[in-house]
Amino acid sequence: MAEDIAIVATALTPCYRNYADSEPSMIMSLVNQILEETGVDRYKIDFTIAGSSDYLSGAPFSFIASVDGYGASPPVYESHVEMDGAWALFEAFVRLQCGDIDLALVVGSGKSSPGSPREIFPIQTDPYVQAPLGLDPVSVAGLQANALIEAGKATERDFAEVVSRSRRDALSNPNAQVAKDVSVEDLLKAPYYATPLRKHDLPPITDGASAMLIARGDRAKELCDNPVWIRGMDHRIESHHLGLRDLTDSPSTRIAAKNLGLEVSSLDVAELCVRYSPEEIVLRQALELGTNTKVNPSGGPLAGHPVMATGLTRVVEVARRIRLGEASRGLAHATSGPALQQNLLCILEGDA
Amino acid sequence: MSEFPISFTLEYPYERTLGPVIGPFFTALRDGRVLGINCGNRVICPPVEYDPDTGATLEPDFVEVGPAGTVENWTWIAEPTSKHPFQEPFAFAQIKLDGADTAITHAVKAAGPDAISTGMRVKIQFCDERVGAITDVYFVPEADAQEQTITPGEKEVRKTIHKISLVYKEKLYPSRARYVQGLLDGKFIGQRSPKTGKVSIPGKGYDSIGRVTLSEADDVELSATGTAVSYTVITPIQYQGQTKTEPYISAMIFLDGSDQPLIAQEVHGIPADEFRAGIRLRAKFKAAGERNIDDICNSWMFCSTGDVIERWEPTGEPDVPFEDFPEFI
Repeated sequence: MAEDIAIVATALTPCYRNYADSEPSMIMSLVNQILEETGVDRYKIDFTIAGSSDYLSGAPFSFIASVDGYGASPPVYESHVEMDGAWALFEAFVRLQCGDIDLALVVGSGKSSPGSPREIFPIQTDPYVQAPLGLDPVSVAGLQANALIEAGKATERDFAEVVSRSRRDALSNPNAQVAKDVSVEDLLKAPYYATPLRKHDLPPITDGASAMLIARGDRAKELCDNPVWIRGMDHRIESHHLGLRDLTDSPSTRIAAKNLGLEVSSLDVAELCVRYSPEEIVLRQALELGTNTKVNPSGGPLAGHPVMATGLTRVVEVARRIRLGEASRGLAHATSGPALQQNLLCILEGDA
Repeated sequence: MSEFPISFTLEYPYERTLGPVIGPFFTALRDGRVLGINCGNRVICPPVEYDPDTGATLEPDFVEVGPAGTVENWTWIAEPTSKHPFQEPFAFAQIKLDGADTAITHAVKAAGPDAISTGMRVKIQFCDERVGAITDVYFVPEADAQEQTITPGEKEVRKTIHKISLVYKEKLYPSRARYVQGLLDGKFIGQRSPKTGKVSIPGKGYDSIGRVTLSEADDVELSATGTAVSYTVITPIQYQGQTKTEPYISAMIFLDGSDQPLIAQEVHGIPADEFRAGIRLRAKFKAAGERNIDDICNSWMFCSTGDVIERWEPTGEPDVPFEDFPEFI
């Protein structure tokens, strides 16, 4: 690794079922928090990058309006990805590796509440043989769940246990949208929605955003007492044809972990982008996580799924636990596409 | 405060060329046959242009597969979306067609979740109306399949049209709702930033220069008089939905005290050759019952004044010289 790069400040909105005001206003509140916390002048931020999607709230060029949130005057050096903010972080991480700039602001944001996510998401699939069928992420999650059960890799009870634990853990997360103590038995009484999945195996529809400031080594140490170092990032993608994938495994996650030299025994915490409960089973097996690693103490996306910020929020959650001293090393995971098609891993570590 | 629920539909009619593999695949589907493609020692269906393992371009070496196959995986969809092939509950399944080595993902019409299982036999059914698209077909349990006689089409299918149509529902943002309520009340409501003192109309709920959020306490009522700072004369072109026939002036008008112009304000009753930048104008609102704001949405790119202004009329004051034009935010 040529350059040490660290997270120096983070900010999260609550997971809202319906945020009444605009996306830029949501972003501005986060960026202002970060500027206030670090004392950084906005004009001193070298590079700004955001992840968002115009389709979510049906507002063409809304990613331009979002620039208001991080500041458009005087003009900023800015980039955008039509991806979760975790991929914006990846680009910022790579950009800082160039060594000529020190400070980057990363934002992920989305308002899913105005639209119908199950109708919007098929258009990110193959436009010839999948999108016209309206093949949505819930249906594909159902296929993944059924494949896991028939392969003997999981049971419906396993899915319910993921949901029960996640939503119970979310009770201690002030930003969670769905937090409650529900037993596995009660969950298993619910009717099927996309067999063998039940509605509670799905994430809520959420509006929200997350943001962070990252800096190169010396600048990071100037800006905060306890920078959280990004020890490595990698992301891999699988085929868009479901028939060419093994839905019971995540080879892209395995490759990313291998490239990073990930030692799971060293991980105190992992925030996994578990949008549908079966995804946790797949990810745990692909990463070979052991009992020493606490998974999704925030409740994860099952407790709040601000699309386009959900993955970046995983990074924020891990960074915060490291800063609080609850963990010294952790893994953040982000995903995109149906049934974990694309996966990003980010290893974080404290100073101690 | 009044709430203003809005709904709109976003549509994109995507038209795509199909290329050397999907083109023949869709042509065959329209004509009652299913094609896979040879890739090494396996047959891939639906066919792909590249070897999924190596990325090497595949020769268009097709093999007919199906019309029946075996369910490898399925999920029962209890509540279909409006984009699904069926509006009553159905199954999405991964089906390995006879002769293929990979599964196609498609819809199975069956009596219920008990009528579908992994390993069961299903058969393709062709819709009566076929255009050369994946939606030309669906699957049923083999026992329910109808014998079909398919008349092939004439030309090769080279393009596909996928019309995306998405409905969104939300409420006007709080600042915009108050702006709209103002228009209905015959008033111009903007917002003044306590940080920069700048006034925008409509307010955005924040000041992007001063980086502060704004609330109802920052609302200001603006005067109905202002200065046109720019204009153009529009000659309507007749297209579907066009309601205008005569040329008209479209002006950008700064209301007094505002730092942001109202744009695309229609001016009638002043001859184009008498209009000029700098002219002082006053908005005369329509009668209370005739004001309409239905075209106002949350879009940041363009916000109209709805249909509430009867006309802009000259105040008769001296023109504002160019040097004194207000500065844009």
